[in-house]
Amino acid sequence: MTTITRRQLLKTSTAAGLVLGAPAILSAQSKEPIPIGTLCPLTGAGGSYGPDMQKAVVAVVERINKAGGIHGRPVQLYHEDDQTNAEAGVRAARKLIDVNKVVAIVSTWASAVTLAVKPLCVEAKVFLIGVSGADAVTQGDHKGYVARTQPNTNLQGRMYAKFVTSKKEWKRVAYLALQTPYAVSFGDSFTGVVKGAGVTITDSLVYEDKKPSYRSEVTRVLATNPDLIMLGGYTPDSVVMAKDIYKAGYKGAILGPSFAINAKFIEGVGPDVAEGIWNMDRAPLFDSPAYKEFSAAVPRGDQSPYAPQAWDQMSLVALALAAAKGEVSGTAIKDNLRAVSNPPGTAVYSYADGAKLLHEGKKINYEGASGACDFDQIGDILSAPFSVQQVRKGKSELVMNINP
Amino acid sequence: MPPIAQYVWNGVVTGGILALPAVAFSLLWQLLRFPNFAVSTYLTVGAYVAFVLNQGLRVPIGWSWLGALVGTAAVALAVDRIAFRPMRDRRPFSLAIASIGVAFVLENVVRFIWSNDFRSYDVPVTRAMEVAGLRIGRDQLLILGVAVVLMMLAQTFLRRTRLGIAMRATADNASLAAVKGIPTERVIAVATLGGGALAGGAGVFLGLDASIDPLMGGGLIISVFAAAILGGIGSAPGALGGAVIVGIVEEVGTLVVPPTYKTAIGFVIILMVLLVRPTGLAGGRT
Amino acid sequence: MTAYLVAIATLVGIRALVTLGLNVQWGLTGLVNLGAVAFFGVGAYTAALLAVSGVPLAAAWPAAIVLASGAGAALAMVALRLREDYLAIVTLGFGEVLRLFLLNETWLTRGANGVTGIPRPLHARFAGHYDLFYLALVLVSVALVYLALERVRRSPFGRVLRAIREDEVVAAVAGKPVFRFKVQAFALGAGVAGLAGILFAHYLAYIEPNMFLPQESLFVWLALILGGSGNNRGALLGSVALLGLLEGSRFLKDVIPFLTGVRLAAVQQMLVGLVLVVLMIRRPEGLLPEKPGAD
Repeated sequence: MTTITRRQLLKTSTAAGLVLGAPAILSAQSKEPIPIGTLCPLTGAGGSYGPDMQKAVVAVVERINKAGGIHGRPVQLYHEDDQTNAEAGVRAARKLIDVNKVVAIVSTWASAVTLAVKPLCVEAKVFLIGVSGADAVTQGDHKGYVARTQPNTNLQGRMYAKFVTSKKEWKRVAYLALQTPYAVSFGDSFTGVVKGAGVTITDSLVYEDKKPSYRSEVTRVLATNPDLIMLGGYTPDSVVMAKDIYKAGYKGAILGPSFAINAKFIEGVGPDVAEGIWNMDRAPLFDSPAYKEFSAAVPRGDQSPYAPQAWDQMSLVALALAAAKGEVSGTAIKDNLRAVSNPPGTAVYSYADGAKLLHEGKKINYEGASGACDFDQIGDILSAPFSVQQVRKGKSELVMNINP
Repeated sequence: MPPIAQYVWNGVVTGGILALPAVAFSLLWQLLRFPNFAVSTYLTVGAYVAFVLNQGLRVPIGWSWLGALVGTAAVALAVDRIAFRPMRDRRPFSLAIASIGVAFVLENVVRFIWSNDFRSYDVPVTRAMEVAGLRIGRDQLLILGVAVVLMMLAQTFLRRTRLGIAMRATADNASLAAVKGIPTERVIAVATLGGGALAGGAGVFLGLDASIDPLMGGGLIISVFAAAILGGIGSAPGALGGAVIVGIVEEVGTLVVPPTYKTAIGFVIILMVLLVRPTGLAGGRT
Repeated sequence: MTAYLVAIATLVGIRALVTLGLNVQWGLTGLVNLGAVAFFGVGAYTAALLAVSGVPLAAAWPAAIVLASGAGAALAMVALRLREDYLAIVTLGFGEVLRLFLLNETWLTRGANGVTGIPRPLHARFAGHYDLFYLALVLVSVALVYLALERVRRSPFGRVLRAIREDEVVAAVAGKPVFRFKVQAFALGAGVAGLAGILFAHYLAYIEPNMFLPQESLFVWLALILGGSGNNRGALLGSVALLGLLEGSRFLKDVIPFLTGVRLAAVQQMLVGLVLVVLMIRRPEGLLPEKPGAD
């Protein structure tokens, strides 16, 4: 056996190290980060929803970067607060697009913000995906740069109507809508379908945001003797409304969207008031691996109605870029979105799995935490199942699923 | 029972909540000669002080309410010392603008600490009782009762105690009162403490009736203004009456006008009073 | 980076116009107006709704200015007899009522949905450099309005307004129809704010009622007082300073990591409040005080 001198060992190992390390040194130069922006409401009317959405996006990006990034490039996030205000949103989006040079803006919430920011993104060819519900979001000529993971009001109205008409004891319905683009157009869709099925709309009332009490609105609605009161607002105003309805002595049924009738709502009104309140929403795929990974990664994420969507939005953007074979731009995202999100393809539940299969040249179909995430031509999601829950003893329990 | 009576009752309850800040606002306006926009934020401060006591330290709501009175009074005094005392001789308008700045600061301090999430007290919600066809809540009666008692206390203070009389003298004619030996700054301090306490207490009622968030006081400012002006600046019973009337008109108004115009009603009241009878019902200073 | 700065400069210019309008009312004539946002909104909505219905801009824009001035005159005739702290709340309330009107009268204003697809003037001609063109449009407007208002200030009309600001009684004794002058000044300021609204609507191509919140009026106030109330240069300086403060603090969070989200926004607004209080205590005349007897 030959003995190797220390000097020889040193020389050989250095040479080996250089040879082995060379590719790493070379590719480090092309590890330029991919800029992506979040534009969430951290303050203002939507201020209680934004932080969780932002956290979900951050969690996804951590995983993406741990899995090696997109084509080896890490994702760099830039966060802005739109203050739930369209003009502030425009200024923030301008900064994201022009200073940070993002290729996509994810996780917008307020319809007004999304609508104001839309023309900027389309012009700059930046991809825009959020949860805003107003009809106008996906209408008009946005050239494919806009999508949303929230069912549009037409779909929502039909699904709620399906549930309500299935309950024969609910013949008289009153609808209380918060003054937002979403609530009003949802009401139109819902009342249209429901009337056709022989249910009477006894009252349809729009109420102002941020009022300390809705006593008289409640008085007016109760005077029409409804069997069911439908709420169309967000958690803060729903809490006040539900308390006023309870105090006024109403003993009938109440139905509202699950993103309003959530754990914070129950905590705010107390178990007595919340008992028996129905709530429904597009069903997150609780059993899906994506949802499980999401709730493990985002603390209290299952209490946020929008965080699962933000999770999916970021994952979809990343997968679309991964499928684009090297081109990194908003156009690349829009061109590849449906290829990774819609069937046919092998079902994948996370960026890591999807990227791996894409690398092998396979076709994938991302199934997310918030739903199947299949988009139509204008960027709306195709139909989705809804789940109906009822608050029992202080917790919302699943009662049934409604399929389209 | 025709439903209009229910609206009237609803308005009375709203008025009961508005009455406390309206009295504080009205008396402070007469004394300090400017509308203090920060009063509506004192409501918010009071609600949060009680929240910290009630939810954070598990203090029962009654004691938390008292704590809110004390805490808000202290904050009001601090605000007066820092922001308004250096401006005692300025035109009322400058002070009004400064008070808007103060309101901004207070609201955002609250937001910085507790964020925008709305909160609730640890108190059960009760159903209303049916009395003569009207739905009347136990907590509503309590709020009204406390408001009336506080009003009577305020009136007694102003009319019967030396300090109260001194306050009215200073409000009438500050320089003359000072010449007569009335300690102006002390009078202002007492009035500020009292006003802060009243507003803070009302904030807790508001938090009980609705919920607690940084914007809760700001939404009431127009209605509080309307109540104070309607009642006549400087009159506590006037402010109470003004508050009840504003409350009733706002609630009954929803029969005529869409509920989303409620704030507009307050504004219209203000405008009409100022144009027709600026001294208000109880005839304060013009 | 330049496109971002161009955008910010455009918005500053639009805000500066509103501030110039407010200066006619407050700085020149001494009339309190805490509802500047109302005339801004009337201008914006009138121009937007007319333009979207196909009315040519050459007709829509003057109509919007006329309507904004008219609204100013109407409010003035009703409210200007009031004492200034009462006037403050009335004008503030007016701003809020207008917003409620915009929200509720959906048959006219499209309510919470807002007005989408507002056409952009001369878009085809300048496509590619449109943002620069629009910035130029705004800056030219600001310059023209500034020059015009400076001339107004030096004119006999302007002198009467200043006399009214200093001492209304003396001006009345001197035989001037004080009330009529006040209404005219108020309407003029409202018209300028309306012009700003027009430029705003066409710039964003989308407007909705919550862009016209009462606190916007307060920000305009702050800009005017900060820059130096009573003079037009102060109005411009204050607008730049204020938006610089608000936008600049956005970059703070890139430097101070724990100051995120709600906290950052709370700090920003707290700063606005503090500046307001400190200004009123220490330097109510603002950064560029008006020279006495300036002519």
